[in-house]
Amino acid sequence: MSPIIEFKNVVKEYKSGNHALKAMNNVSFTIDGGEFVVILGPSGAGKSTLLNLLGGLDSVTSGEIIVNNQNVENFNDNELTEYRAKNVGFIFQFYNLIPNLTALENVELMGDIVDVDIDGLDVLDSVGLKNHANKFPAQLSGGEQQRVSIARAVAKNPTMLLCDEPTGALDSKTGVLILNLLQDMSNNHNTTVVIVTHNSILAEAADKVIRIKNGQIEDIIVNVCPKKVVDLEW
Amino acid sequence: MYALKRLLIWNGDVLLKRKMLRDIKKHKTQFISIFLMAFLGVFLFSGVGGGSLGLETSVNQFYEDTNMADGWIYSPYLNDMFLYQVDMLGATNQMERQVVVDSQADFENKPDVTLHFVENNTISKFYSMEGRPLDINDSNGVWLDKSFADAKGLNVGDNITFTFEDYEITKTIKGLGYSPEYVYHGSQYFVLPDFNKIGFAYLSYRAFPSDDVPYNVLNVKFDGNAETYDKLLSYRLDGYYATFIQKSDHASVNQFANQIALQKMMGDIFPLVFILVSMLILLTTMTRIISHQRTQIGILKASGFKNYSIILHYLSYGFWMVLFGSVLGLILGPMVLPGFIYAVMKHIFILPSWKAVWSMNFVYMTILMIIMSLAISFYSTKSISDESPSQSIRAKSPKVFKKGLIERLDFWHNLSFNIRWNYRDARRNKFRSLMTVIGIIGCTALLICAFGLNDSMNELTEWNFDYINHYDSEMIIDSDADSSAVDEVAKAVDGEKIMKTVIEIESSSGKKQGTLLVLDGGDMITPTDDDWNKVEIADDEVSISKKMAELLDVGIGDTVRWHMIDSNKWIEIKIDKIHADPNTQGLVMSKDKIEDLGLNYTPSSIMTDEHVDKNYSAIKSYTTKEFRIGSWQGLTQAAWVLIYVLTTFASILAVIVLYNLELLSFTEVEKDIATLKILGFKTKDLRKLLLTQNLWFTTIGFILGIPIGSYLLKTIWRSAGDSYYIIPSISITTLLLTGIITFSISILVNLMFSGKIERLDMVETFKKE
Repeated sequence: MSPIIEFKNVVKEYKSGNHALKAMNNVSFTIDGGEFVVILGPSGAGKSTLLNLLGGLDSVTSGEIIVNNQNVENFNDNELTEYRAKNVGFIFQFYNLIPNLTALENVELMGDIVDVDIDGLDVLDSVGLKNHANKFPAQLSGGEQQRVSIARAVAKNPTMLLCDEPTGALDSKTGVLILNLLQDMSNNHNTTVVIVTHNSILAEAADKVIRIKNGQIEDIIVNVCPKKVVDLEW
Repeated sequence: MYALKRLLIWNGDVLLKRKMLRDIKKHKTQFISIFLMAFLGVFLFSGVGGGSLGLETSVNQFYEDTNMADGWIYSPYLNDMFLYQVDMLGATNQMERQVVVDSQADFENKPDVTLHFVENNTISKFYSMEGRPLDINDSNGVWLDKSFADAKGLNVGDNITFTFEDYEITKTIKGLGYSPEYVYHGSQYFVLPDFNKIGFAYLSYRAFPSDDVPYNVLNVKFDGNAETYDKLLSYRLDGYYATFIQKSDHASVNQFANQIALQKMMGDIFPLVFILVSMLILLTTMTRIISHQRTQIGILKASGFKNYSIILHYLSYGFWMVLFGSVLGLILGPMVLPGFIYAVMKHIFILPSWKAVWSMNFVYMTILMIIMSLAISFYSTKSISDESPSQSIRAKSPKVFKKGLIERLDFWHNLSFNIRWNYRDARRNKFRSLMTVIGIIGCTALLICAFGLNDSMNELTEWNFDYINHYDSEMIIDSDADSSAVDEVAKAVDGEKIMKTVIEIESSSGKKQGTLLVLDGGDMITPTDDDWNKVEIADDEVSISKKMAELLDVGIGDTVRWHMIDSNKWIEIKIDKIHADPNTQGLVMSKDKIEDLGLNYTPSSIMTDEHVDKNYSAIKSYTTKEFRIGSWQGLTQAAWVLIYVLTTFASILAVIVLYNLELLSFTEVEKDIATLKILGFKTKDLRKLLLTQNLWFTTIGFILGIPIGSYLLKTIWRSAGDSYYIIPSISITTLLLTGIITFSISILVNLMFSGKIERLDMVETFKKE
């Protein structure tokens, strides 16, 4: 399998005054299509920076990011928007659903940005929320909202799902449910899933674990036989 | 009291104070707006109020200093017997006779100077500004209108010659000054006083060229109200006097009082708008700050701060802004504004002193505003103080909204995301939406009102000068000229003689002064109806102007009584027609009709198509259309100032209100916008998203603003006085212009915010509270 994501010597610097802070220092790795990848590291290690760069929310200082044979770092604003629309499904710690839209509308919204006919109910069904389709986010529990957000992300059939601490705001039981769902997406739908977390238990369930520290790769482990999320000991 | 002291001195809680300053800095736009609106509100209130109060006080002081008459009795029989009868009315406590005659001063342009030969100079006294005070024993002196003297370059010691009736008198100017009866000195022919052509002079009765002084006006001072006095007079002396004019009906008094009333009305309405807006901005800003700082407040409470301190802390935000703004307005308003108002008024009105007056009401208004601001801040904080620290420390759970009716309908699902999102956003933020609509309504209404004033004035000019009065020159006949000389002039200029005179009309509901217009065939003057179509008045018919009919509450078929102002012969007539005239109210009839009524037809003017530019001996003076239009426009100068002020304030108001609301709305949806941007929505689409709602509100506000503006316009015209009949009109151009300005401001302000979408840092936005 050839990699669909490749980081080559990526450097990201934040300037504050005369001072430059290196949030990402010479980072290189590859991710294959359909892989379930966990990025681990302590607070401030650069996990979110990595995810933002990959998701096209921020641009590199130097180095290359290649996604589906395209050099993301060369994209201008419009191309980045296009890239995000077609390739990336985001899942956030605080769900970030549009409060004005119902669960179903939040999912169907994706139809406005990609040329895909979305059967919102079908997608909601796949995350087990068909019965809550007409509820507004405020009427749903945290776990349900996160499931809607997963449904929204997968609805447009993206190349990858980028999840920033997707279970950070949930209790462990609901968290397992969400992670299980994400693992299913990877296994059954061949969607690449990248999860940023500081919870190292999840490492055992990943196809690949990338550990970062101080903006650099500490190690990359490939699990030949990853465990099922539900089988992990939380 | 203790709370107020804490609020003012507030020496404790230094850190909270620092927090307040930083919060204010963070929300500087809103707080600057609150400051500005509070300032403008009090500035206008105390400025215009101080101006109009000053006018009232100054003019009343002038009336008092000069012992202004309470009424004037016009009669040719002012002999001892008559005076005895007036005295016997009981209510009369002072009276003095005068001869009032129209004269011409010896200048190239034959200016009209009204001469007052006074018996004592005790009532409506001449107010001397230069030279000696009026001396009743001086038969050689004249005390001249200072404005006229200034226009003619005359000084104390100069001689001046007047001609009237068969007399020509030359007198020495002994003093220059003002008269309480000439604060406004317009005339039938010149609405805008032109002191080069018009003036007055006071002389002793001893200066009258005949021993037998033909007194014709009796100035009276009386107790009780004027209506009662009028009735008493008519009961006792009916038939022996022509007219009684009470002070409030006097042309000068009336005109000036109208001016004050108009300013008072504006001084009350406009500040109210700004004060309301400042309070609304304060309410939205404080509610937002408090809801954003909910957890902070919870932490403060949890750390042991008393509710009391926290509430006081938040009260102080608006308090300081409103305090600074309104106190500054209170100081600057009466200092600055009256000067501007008086500068325009001094062209039209003559008063010895123009002083703005300060009133405690301005201070009460300021205090009221401060109390209101505290009440509003308190209302915003209350929800927090009612909660326990453990409740406040948690983020508030979002409000649950149910679907509305429209959202349940089938077509809802076919609507675009843009429409659905905006509809729901508006529904969920009803207060913000309402405020935006109100802001737009305010802007539209003020603009409609401003441009509508312009439209109505233009229309009035067109109606008056193109549809009713078709002549170019009006030649005013010298009352001494003999009729053959007049006929000769009329023939020479191919003119038409008409009779125009002041009359008093009475119906069961009241008495009003007006103009009688007598037409002798011809088509120089053609009365029209509301739609500017000619009204045919047959030779045996009488028509009343619409405004006069409204004032007297009469209609076709009703009977009214009237008499000429210089005659005591009352005549009863039936109204056959009603015509509409923008600025001449009264009766119109034919020469035949007036002769049928047993009155003489005495032409007062010759109207002609020709542009007259030379003098005839039988003609006292003439005015051209050009001049009359110019004079009318001069009088409306004050209205122009009003138009500029309204337009400017409407725009400022719209920008401030919209900017604040957009800011509010943008911060509220910023996270959603960032999410949508991350999800892959294009900046262009997101801009459209924000613009859509803006356009909805602007459209709604615009549509609602039109009738409100037109109502405002009507109110303003209504206060223009009894002599004007104006159908407030709003032209297509006005609508377009108002639309363009309102929408431009709205869209421009919106673009300022939607520009932020491009620069929106998606990563940073989520970190915000």
